[in-house]
Amino acid sequence: MRKVEKHHIKKLEDYLWEIPKSFRQDMRVPARVLASEIILDDIMEDRSLNQLVNVATLPGIHKASMVMPDVHEGYGFPIGGVAATIFPDGVISPGGIGYDINCGVRLLLSNLHIEDIKDHREKLSKELYAQIPSGMGKGGQIKLTPLQIDNVLLQGAEWAVEHGYGQREDLEYMESHGRLQDADPSYISDMAKKRGSNQLGTIGSGNHFVEVDYIDEIYNEDIANAFNIQPGQVVVLIHTGSRGLGHQVATDYIRIMVNAMSDYGIRLPDRELACVPFNSVQGQRYFKAMCAAANFAWCNREIISWEAGKAWKNVFDDFGGGLKLMYDVAHNIAKIETYTIDGTDKKVIVHRKGATRAFGPGFTELPEPYKEVGQPVIIPGSMGTCSYVLAGTEKSRDITFGSCCHGAGRRLSRRAAKLQVNAPVLKEELKERGIFVQAGSYKGIAEEAPIAYKDVNLVVDTVQNSGIAKKVAKLRPVAVIKG
Amino acid sequence: MNIRFLAHTADVRMELEGKSLQELYTLAVKGMGEILKKDFCTQSNNFSKNVTVDIHASDYTNLLIDFLSDVLSISYVEKAIFCSVHILEFSEYNIKAEIKGSDVKMFDEEIKAVTYHEANVYKDKEDQIWKTCIIFDI
Repeated sequence: MRKVEKHHIKKLEDYLWEIPKSFRQDMRVPARVLASEIILDDIMEDRSLNQLVNVATLPGIHKASMVMPDVHEGYGFPIGGVAATIFPDGVISPGGIGYDINCGVRLLLSNLHIEDIKDHREKLSKELYAQIPSGMGKGGQIKLTPLQIDNVLLQGAEWAVEHGYGQREDLEYMESHGRLQDADPSYISDMAKKRGSNQLGTIGSGNHFVEVDYIDEIYNEDIANAFNIQPGQVVVLIHTGSRGLGHQVATDYIRIMVNAMSDYGIRLPDRELACVPFNSVQGQRYFKAMCAAANFAWCNREIISWEAGKAWKNVFDDFGGGLKLMYDVAHNIAKIETYTIDGTDKKVIVHRKGATRAFGPGFTELPEPYKEVGQPVIIPGSMGTCSYVLAGTEKSRDITFGSCCHGAGRRLSRRAAKLQVNAPVLKEELKERGIFVQAGSYKGIAEEAPIAYKDVNLVVDTVQNSGIAKKVAKLRPVAVIKG
Repeated sequence: MNIRFLAHTADVRMELEGKSLQELYTLAVKGMGEILKKDFCTQSNNFSKNVTVDIHASDYTNLLIDFLSDVLSISYVEKAIFCSVHILEFSEYNIKAEIKGSDVKMFDEEIKAVTYHEANVYKDKEDQIWKTCIIFDI
């Protein structure tokens, strides 16, 4: 395959670049990159852009395949990508959502100031680690019967609330209110259900975490007030997804689609892009199974919040005042959304793989306090650096199908990070800087070291300067829990 | 007979070379076991778990990826790592094999999936060795 080089890319406007459709004969639309020139040069170090060109070959893809500034090479689709296909006969591709269906982040707000917890940071990190199961193979406290797991898959976060693991008002503060109505558990395999039966309330391993942060800087006071965040406030950031259940759903349906594609005359440059028309039997089954797995992830994050609340109470007692959900947003998902295309409103199937929905003010699904300022967008940085809260804008709908970046973006392989990082030393260095890390292994710390990631500040500045989201606040970590 | 692990930005890339398809399948299972728990398969050959896997696929490459995916799923459900493959039936489109392994308390690594990305099972005409690359989503 022809490699993308800098001279193939033209600048459309500041922070928006395009590989024209003429670059390769099988492209159906151009491929676009949202990046500063410095970030673009960095992106060209791996094969992300060749993967982006492959995405541009999907049947029914509309406008352009796109990547955000935190993009990095994946397997099939790049991580940090957005692809919208025409509803209902454009394709749906499980690879465009990823194996960790509805991997996402949520932010919990406390009433405490960083000064209030200064002497309790280590104790808090240990208590969170004790209350929230993490690491590979560690099951949770809840063992679901087959009937219960079907209810979780149908109800999402509502199931957690009904069973005492959350407050009903939490549901208002989640993307899609923590439940996709098209979910159908009958399209999820027994193997997937078995894998998920003891995984609710667990974060898993890899780049998933629970982190205690404080608000270090406010960039937009009006929006920060609407989001109820203030300087110095202590918050809890949770990053995880649908665990083994979601991985199995993706595995099952990619296999089905690899074999079914030829029935629809679909030929692609990479089997991992496997797809079928959305309105086909296989496409509908996958979509309904994906919605169910997404519901499992929302339920999981709601239960982890309850576990975090328990740890909070154990450390601070009544003084702590509890934790309240600010927002929960997915970054691996497909949604049916409506956009103005050629002057008329049309539905598209928006695939977000490592990309966050970033809708602007006026979006009716948002809770009342956020309606005038736009949807919160939560961007975790790397361990020990900083994270951000942004707000979506109307412009994101014009440029990126209402999407934004999802993190800092990896730049080193896990293997390279392990070779370069002395994890025990890093842990001590972080401790000296007031960041207490609790992890299942030193390997996990090394793989997720800050050096393994791009500079989240550059990524977020790019997003803000391009106009698809506004910076609201910067978060600094004080405790990190990892698998 | 060779397993090599190479760097990939977010994942693990494993390259395999075997004298026969039987050997390639054994290497693939052992290599995946090595990711799940370092040295587990080299330290023990007294296996307590025995499961039969039966896969049908459209070609050699899909067959190997689908086979490994099933072994991975069984590993998680059984909380075991498999290290040995005994092929009972084999063609380009079907494999029936007995896999053997043992229980583990914890895995070192969570493999989300065995991907088809860049996988290509072929017999090198020059050295008559079966080869492929496999990328795991970690």
